[in-house]
Amino acid sequence: MSAPENVTLTIDGRVVEVPKGTGLVETAAVAGIEIPVFCYEPRLGPPVGACRMCLVEVEGIPKLQAGCTLTAQEGMVVGTGATSEKAAEGQNATLEFILVNHPLDCPVCDKGGECPLQDLTFRYGPGQTRMTFPKRTLDKPIPISPTIALDRERCILCYRCTRFSESVAEDGQLVARNRGSMSMIATFEDEPYRDLFSGNVIELCPVGALTSTQYRFEARPWEIQNVPTICGLCPVGCNISATTREGKVKRILSRNHPEVDQGWLCDKGRFAYPHLYAEDRIATPLERVRRRGFGEISWDDGLDRAEALLRGAGGRIVTALSGSETIEEAYALGRLLRVGLGAHSAVLPEATSSALDAFRAPLSSIGHAEVVVVIGEERVADRAPIVGLWIKQARRNGGDVVELAEPKLDAELEQRLRSSDRAVLIWSGRAGGGGARLAELAHSLGFDGKPGCSAFHLPATPNGRGVAEAWAAAADRDEANPEPIGLLIVSGDEAAADPAVRALAEKAEHVLAITMYHGLAVGWADLVLPATSYLERDGSFVNLEGRVQRLRRSVIPPVPDELGWISKLAARFGVEISPHASLVFAELAETVYGGEASFGDVGERAPLPARAAYEPPEPRPVAPIPPPAAAPAEHFLGTLRLLRYRPLFSGPTVERVPELRFQRPAAEVELAAADAERRQIRNGDSVTVRSESILTLRARIDRRLPPGVARIAEEHARDLGTTVEVSRSSNPFTSAGGERA
Amino acid sequence: MSSGWGTPKGFAVTFRQIFRKPITQQYPEYKRPVYPRFRGRHRLQVHENGLEKCVGCSLCAAACPADCIRVVPAENTAENRVSAGERYARIYEINLSRCIFCGYCELACPFDAITLGNEYEISEYSRDDLIYTKDMLLAPPMKTVPVADRDLYDTPIPVYRSSS
Ligand code: SF4
Ligand code: SF4
Ligand code: SF4
Ligand code: SF4
Ligand code: FES
Repeated sequence: MSAPENVTLTIDGRVVEVPKGTGLVETAAVAGIEIPVFCYEPRLGPPVGACRMCLVEVEGIPKLQAGCTLTAQEGMVVGTGATSEKAAEGQNATLEFILVNHPLDCPVCDKGGECPLQDLTFRYGPGQTRMTFPKRTLDKPIPISPTIALDRERCILCYRCTRFSESVAEDGQLVARNRGSMSMIATFEDEPYRDLFSGNVIELCPVGALTSTQYRFEARPWEIQNVPTICGLCPVGCNISATTREGKVKRILSRNHPEVDQGWLCDKGRFAYPHLYAEDRIATPLERVRRRGFGEISWDDGLDRAEALLRGAGGRIVTALSGSETIEEAYALGRLLRVGLGAHSAVLPEATSSALDAFRAPLSSIGHAEVVVVIGEERVADRAPIVGLWIKQARRNGGDVVELAEPKLDAELEQRLRSSDRAVLIWSGRAGGGGARLAELAHSLGFDGKPGCSAFHLPATPNGRGVAEAWAAAADRDEANPEPIGLLIVSGDEAAADPAVRALAEKAEHVLAITMYHGLAVGWADLVLPATSYLERDGSFVNLEGRVQRLRRSVIPPVPDELGWISKLAARFGVEISPHASLVFAELAETVYGGEASFGDVGERAPLPARAAYEPPEPRPVAPIPPPAAAPAEHFLGTLRLLRYRPLFSGPTVERVPELRFQRPAAEVELAAADAERRQIRNGDSVTVRSESILTLRARIDRRLPPGVARIAEEHARDLGTTVEVSRSSNPFTSAGGERA
Repeated sequence: MSSGWGTPKGFAVTFRQIFRKPITQQYPEYKRPVYPRFRGRHRLQVHENGLEKCVGCSLCAAACPADCIRVVPAENTAENRVSAGERYARIYEINLSRCIFCGYCELACPFDAITLGNEYEISEYSRDDLIYTKDMLLAPPMKTVPVADRDLYDTPIPVYRSSS
């Protein structure tokens, strides 16, 4: 790239030099001058000049110009409202005009106190109104989805929300209807706004027109504390602020890390926080009494009971980890069990290969890639939603996105990847040794020497990599699978909800579960110790890029946090481990992160570690690849391979948030167009899915699905086998089975 | 140095007072009227139709220098309409043990919902009893204090710029 050419211009009498092409709003900011804006938001694509708040006078142009649509030019002389009479007058008129029909809602408006319109009205504008007529009134609030309310009276028609919907999330569901004074924001066909990223429009809206129903009337900006932390629900690790009031989390806001999330959040991260206040949250340790009943016991008794269970198992202990523990917690647990008890055996979340470190790059590098290859059968958005947004951005920037079910590149694609300087490989599937195969592929394509080329593996759990590394660092001994299992330790809700772990529990003599919810523990665990959520812990997560990011405790949990009692328990087995995350991290950082990262450094915006040299991954037992699809016979309906997937809106956390129910997957089976046609199935038909058991689901035709598979969400697939027969329900009046969200 | 006159001089003052009318007032039997704009215990006002004026906006809480107001709003519904706007104060508490009776809350309120009354007899045996809940603030004060002649004492209501 050639060095950017600089231009010199004058704004309000100050001379500034900026690279050519810099927006005038940013240029003014460099000079310390504010150009007020409403609609300008560079993340939404090119400026639209909708609100006219940014009017400036440019010498040589007779009319006022919208500053946000201009870029810095050599020799430009610009006057903002501060020095130019004319610009100030224009700005005043604009603001007065915006406020003509704006309701006097500030005291009841959720935006009040953090409202750009309030702020700018205070600093600009005439300060008085000449509007003596009754204002236009409209129906309000209109719930455009269970999570978002729209107040059209307050809307200033800046089109930020529709631009987001159209050109960032690309769902096209929010539209502007009508013209002139009757223009209004609406959802397409008045359907609920159902998209993975819908919540971002709340943060984008510069007024209180789009507000969160969860946060509605919950708090005022002067009554809250915003705690900077990390979202712990998927491996992206978006940077968030948890807004708390009176010791409770009230909403989640984005904290824009330009390399990770660019200030966007998915709806799961934004709206799932009420899981903290779920009705079936466990507040005290529970002990099994009789066969299925439970009794509450004190923490002291709980720890005694845990100690007894650990001692009783005589080292025949297996630990099932969720991948949502902090690395400190996993390390502490590892020290306790592996050093204290010699119990090395663990069921770890899906691993991430360290060989990928050689192809490390920030997620933002996807956004301007020339070619992005997504390999695997899982939808990117189900595993790491924000990566899906980055891929969309790459496509908008002119990049090619290729989706492959198998890591087989044809010669042409391979050639392109080899010659490109900005190529990205993304692995979004189950098999593949946690990215080991991807690393091999990237290496064979010569990505090592090209810093613009990167490879990402999308793991299934938020901190699977960190947990595995921390567990491994706790001791250096090989695993030995005890037979029979004396004690199964189930750490976290995801592990507790995992059928494989449940199956293991059948074989174990005793089960100790660490979970947040009653529903997940009662009936099969002998002792349940209450867990905390990612919003309630101090610690660190390693995201899918390998970035160590810090979680901060936003609210005091109703139960002691894991690290505290693990450290107490460890002391009884002669293992010393600090109850403070920072000290545990310091110990861990030395062994795992080469003493580079310190708990304090991994701060507000965590840096990405440098690329490592490529080391071929150790050949590890690759997880069995699901049996290949039985080739669909042309003449005969035949069977389809069942593709179970874990949708983004699933899991114990989401299930406990009523507002997200509408986002949960419908009881549907997705079919490729060809398969559906052969079976005379149309979109929305009720179909019978048959293997060992029979289910009735609604059909949905997905053109991107390869033929030969039937995709069903985990929670609807129940106990179907690996191959299924799909046919139209014989009785057309049979309603689709399963609950409709 | 001492001239010997000090003692008689002092006593002269004392004796002079003996023949004057005492200004001691027999509180609490006799309560001295307060100025009408005296700032005492708060009241929450209601509209004539019975709806509460307060919409739970927390502006009073923001203005309060002693940070002693707590407002937790909720949404009005058709079945449960408490105030005129979209929201109302579900919880409204003032901790009068911390209040400094500055009247800023009254000034901040956009709906004249919170006002400071004339009542000053609010001591209690327990601090907890000094946390006034919404019900207490809505109810008329238990003890009332006479107000001196308005025409005589009241200062005129300041005229702000009436056009804005
Ligand atoms: S959007 Fe802003 S200016 Fe409009 S009513 Fe709400 S707080 Fe007030
Ligand atoms: S709803 Fe908000 S973001 Fe959308 S156009 Fe109106 S003011 Fe802008
Ligand atoms: S009078 Fe002053 S200190 Fe007392 S509640 Fe009102 S604002 Fe707070
Ligand atoms: S008393 Fe007034 S300022 Fe305080 S919350 Fe109620 S309406 Fe708002
Ligand atoms: S900010 Fe320039 S027109 Fe809206």
